[in-house]
Amino acid sequence: MTLSLKDVYIVDGRRSPHAKAGADLKDVAAPYLGAYLVRKILDATSIPNDEVDEVIFGNTGSPAKYPNVGRVIALEAGLHKKTSGYTVHRNCASGMEAISQAYMKIAAGRCDVIVAGGVESMSQMPLIYSKEMTDLFVNVMKARSFSDKVKALSAFRPPFLSPIIAIEQGLTDPFCGLNMGLTAELLAREFGISREEQDEFANKSHHKAVTAEAEGKFADEIVPLAYGNKLEKLLHKDVGPRGNSTVEGLAKMKPYFERKSGTVTVGNSCPITDGGSALLFCSEEAVKKYNLNPIARMIDFHFHGLEPERMGMGPLLAMDGLVKRTGVAIQDCDLVEINEAFAAQLLGVQRGLGNKEIASRFDVDTVHGEIPEEKLNVNGGAIALGHPVGSTGSRLVVTLMHELKRRKADKGIASLCIGGGQGGACLIENLIK
Amino acid sequence: MSYERIKFEIENKVAYVGFGYNCDKSMTVLDEQTLTELRDIVEECHQKKKELDGVVFHSLKKNCFLAGADINLIASLKTENEGAHGAEQGQNIFNRIEDLPVPTVVCIDGVCLGGGMELSLSCNTIVCSDNPKTSMGLPEVKLGLIPGFGGTYRMPRRVGLPTALDLILTGKGLDSRKAKKVGLVDEVYPKENLVKMAPKHFGGSKKKQGFKDTIEHLASDNFLSRKIIFQKARENVLKQTKGFYQAPLKILDVMEAGMMKGRSSYLASEAQAFGELCVGEQSKNLQHLFFLMESSKKYNGPQSEGELPVLKRGAALGAGTMGGGIAWLMAESDMAPLMKDIGPEALDLGLKQSSSNFMGKVVRKKMTYDEFERKQRSITPQLDYSGFNKVDLVIEAVVENMDIKKSVFAETEKHVPETCLLTSNTSSLSVEDMSTALEKPSRFAGLHFFNPVHRMPLVEIITHSKIAPETIEALYNWCLKVKKTPVVVGDGPGFLVNRILMPYLNEAGYLLIEGVPMKELDEACLNFGMPMGPCRLLDEIGIDVAVKVAKIIHAGLGDRAESSDLSQQMVDKGFLGKKSGKGFYIYDEKGKPTGPNEEALAILGSARKKMSETDIQMRVFLPMINEASYILDDGIVKKPSDVDLGLIFGIGFPPFRGGLLRYADGEGLERIYKAIEKFASEVSANRYAPSPFLKKLVDDKKKFYDL
Repeated sequence: MTLSLKDVYIVDGRRSPHAKAGADLKDVAAPYLGAYLVRKILDATSIPNDEVDEVIFGNTGSPAKYPNVGRVIALEAGLHKKTSGYTVHRNCASGMEAISQAYMKIAAGRCDVIVAGGVESMSQMPLIYSKEMTDLFVNVMKARSFSDKVKALSAFRPPFLSPIIAIEQGLTDPFCGLNMGLTAELLAREFGISREEQDEFANKSHHKAVTAEAEGKFADEIVPLAYGNKLEKLLHKDVGPRGNSTVEGLAKMKPYFERKSGTVTVGNSCPITDGGSALLFCSEEAVKKYNLNPIARMIDFHFHGLEPERMGMGPLLAMDGLVKRTGVAIQDCDLVEINEAFAAQLLGVQRGLGNKEIASRFDVDTVHGEIPEEKLNVNGGAIALGHPVGSTGSRLVVTLMHELKRRKADKGIASLCIGGGQGGACLIENLIK
Repeated sequence: MSYERIKFEIENKVAYVGFGYNCDKSMTVLDEQTLTELRDIVEECHQKKKELDGVVFHSLKKNCFLAGADINLIASLKTENEGAHGAEQGQNIFNRIEDLPVPTVVCIDGVCLGGGMELSLSCNTIVCSDNPKTSMGLPEVKLGLIPGFGGTYRMPRRVGLPTALDLILTGKGLDSRKAKKVGLVDEVYPKENLVKMAPKHFGGSKKKQGFKDTIEHLASDNFLSRKIIFQKARENVLKQTKGFYQAPLKILDVMEAGMMKGRSSYLASEAQAFGELCVGEQSKNLQHLFFLMESSKKYNGPQSEGELPVLKRGAALGAGTMGGGIAWLMAESDMAPLMKDIGPEALDLGLKQSSSNFMGKVVRKKMTYDEFERKQRSITPQLDYSGFNKVDLVIEAVVENMDIKKSVFAETEKHVPETCLLTSNTSSLSVEDMSTALEKPSRFAGLHFFNPVHRMPLVEIITHSKIAPETIEALYNWCLKVKKTPVVVGDGPGFLVNRILMPYLNEAGYLLIEGVPMKELDEACLNFGMPMGPCRLLDEIGIDVAVKVAKIIHAGLGDRAESSDLSQQMVDKGFLGKKSGKGFYIYDEKGKPTGPNEEALAILGSARKKMSETDIQMRVFLPMINEASYILDDGIVKKPSDVDLGLIFGIGFPPFRGGLLRYADGEGLERIYKAIEKFASEVSANRYAPSPFLKKLVDDKKKFYDL
């Protein structure tokens, strides 16, 4: 017996403006990057606040104050207290994991209305006491007498105070020990991706994003967000894309990860960023009941693992799996959004798509063909817009659905590489043609 | 013995005295019967002292321990002696509680004010619940009274002199957390455990005195520092009340003179002071105001037949200072408002207004930053109508222009549900006319807030010919819910408050032209008790705005409302008031007046006229009384109390005068009418054209409050 899956509709999708970590959105805690989007999306429908079955959000920073960001978002968005909410973590693809779960729950007929998305405040990722310092605190607390306390305290050494930077540790693979930047360096070396090629790509990302913003293309997807200590200003657009970016300027930057002989710089990588995104998923029954006008239909998704040190090639395997699952060829899609974690990594994926030998190194037996420039990341990508880790997986789909709608096009894929050695991809179909 | 108002039981050698027994009102008060029963119960406890481990006072009523002495009882007191005697009776009962040889514990859950607080103070131990409704205080001063049941004697002994003075002189309430902090209560429990825990305090709960307490005690408990504390308190009172209020000064006299007295002679002086104050005109006026406020808490407008619309979600149209203030009010009361305007700059302005209102509370620690963030973020600033399909109440605050407002309403009506109420915060335009823009005018009303929204309690609900009673009642209840004071008024130029304010501001212009110095004019009004003189008020409103409103009122009411051209000349010279930095006065960057604007006064020329303070006051206040008579005659409001509430809460007419019409009643309407006639012949036949309605009252020998 095969499980018959129901159609899954994406009624709407919105995102916050992105701002580089430490900039305009630094004081906005993770839940507030998403809750207002949920309110905004549901306000535009006739769905009452007690008819949402599930709220699912991706988040990787797991702020100590909000261990379950998804549930907090449900409440802060003014949804009924009975609304179930939870948080998912699949590193860079946490937002995509959230929408995949929404898809499964609606496809399986368990839910009719789900809000899913992702949020990340990379500004607010903490500094952590070292293990030595933590042990010292524990020993002092355990000590009963004054002399025991003094004894415990005497173990203190100044280096104990040097903190662990959570964000740095989080971006280092625990299995192979490589920093994410070094995994990009590895791909650049193995596939001969030059510095010039990477800078050229990064430069285009900035100019595409700036043009898209100027043409008002982000107006449908960005919801202005109140920020600042007194919450009295509205941020309307992304803080990151640079209109004055040049290849020459990028060429002047020093390699950041492999400082002596590397090619990956801060300029041709994505900046750490604050942002959030949210999408409303509905079953066909809910679409009819609430008289909704969905923008897209989600066809399927696929996740795939590979060596952690080559995690950047994840999209190749994920998209290959997605094609096999759905029978829709990449070349038949009108648009493809692949996250630009590193220019080198994205160019590596392109090599893998076009080159049988490279593809076979990753056990991919199909040559899908490189994605033409006019279909790939047409409004710029994370190098310009930034990569709020927990949100990007769903942000890509938000951007993709609005661009498909604008073009009255048919199908599109959103895909991304995942720290730890995975790739994720999902396929959607535009319904407003 | 059996009791009707108090539940008295003895269980496991503990006597439980429960107030709020057989009480169907929401608040329990110490009325005559309750006091009599309490006296008997206390005596019974004295008799049974051998069988008792202790006495526990508690309440059977939800959210109310005791709301104080019955104010009707106080209002019925006729003479000083009667008042003093009444206070002594209460004092005697509380003395007997204090003198019980067994331990006494009072359990406070909910409101505990005035007499209830004084009863609690006579117990050995006070414990209270952490119920957010729990509040303790001695608010007598707000009624122009001194706490008369021993509160001024026992409070300083429990919390120390400085805290006691603060509580008694301001009448403010403390929540459980603060009450514990100042030492008023010994322990705080969850309300379900409160009475259960009371007997555990029979052993006494003398708290350990911290080092800080000891220092504080040493610092405040000696002759010299007490003298300084009283002097400081007196200065503060004079500064806060400008010397208008008698009660706080009387309280200080009693407390200071009584510092060295024993209980009985102290209490005698407290009772005597209570007697003097309670029959004084000022206290009677404040009691009158209390009754006005109480009666305004219940809707008594046109009867509704259908179901009332539920107003859960709000929207503010227009995000300026007023729109931002309205969005703030809605966010504050959990209505997650939409705030729509036509440009992003306006949205920033609205957010800023709301944020600054909230921030005031955060700074005063009335709100945590997290609460602020949640509420401020519940406002959705937007440029389109998305989400209006879920809105129950729209308050419009766009520019004061009839055509624009009409088109805004016609457009908005297309986006909101059938049940949504649509209201306009217009201050001067005809609500009747505006209602024609709507397909369904029955759900439309004027809802006039006063600026700034977070400070001014009054809201005028303005009706028109097609309004549904359900609309009025739902708006009335909503105003109460968001802690505003609503007054239902008919449509007409300037509605209620601005129409009566008109002669106040108009006459100021004429007086200046006649040569009365601005300083003397403003001071005469301040000395009457107004929060601002007319010139200062004009600056605050904006002189251009005042000119615009004056024109509308003039057009509507005719020559009676004619204004001098002084304001127009000011506007022509760019003196718009506080907002332009220059009006009648000059303002610094923070908006503080620094002195008169000599350039503006130069317009007036060099004529100087000496006029007595009383004459100035009569020139401005008599035409207000006259206009109020016209308003009653026109049926803009139904009752004189509406006029009084409107002026006290809308423009800060001095509360101790009980309101404009109560003041008029007190002065004698015949005298007032004659004075108006005199001004009509000597000053202006138009502006002082006496109201026939007032004439009829005089002829019938009636007062306003006889209506």
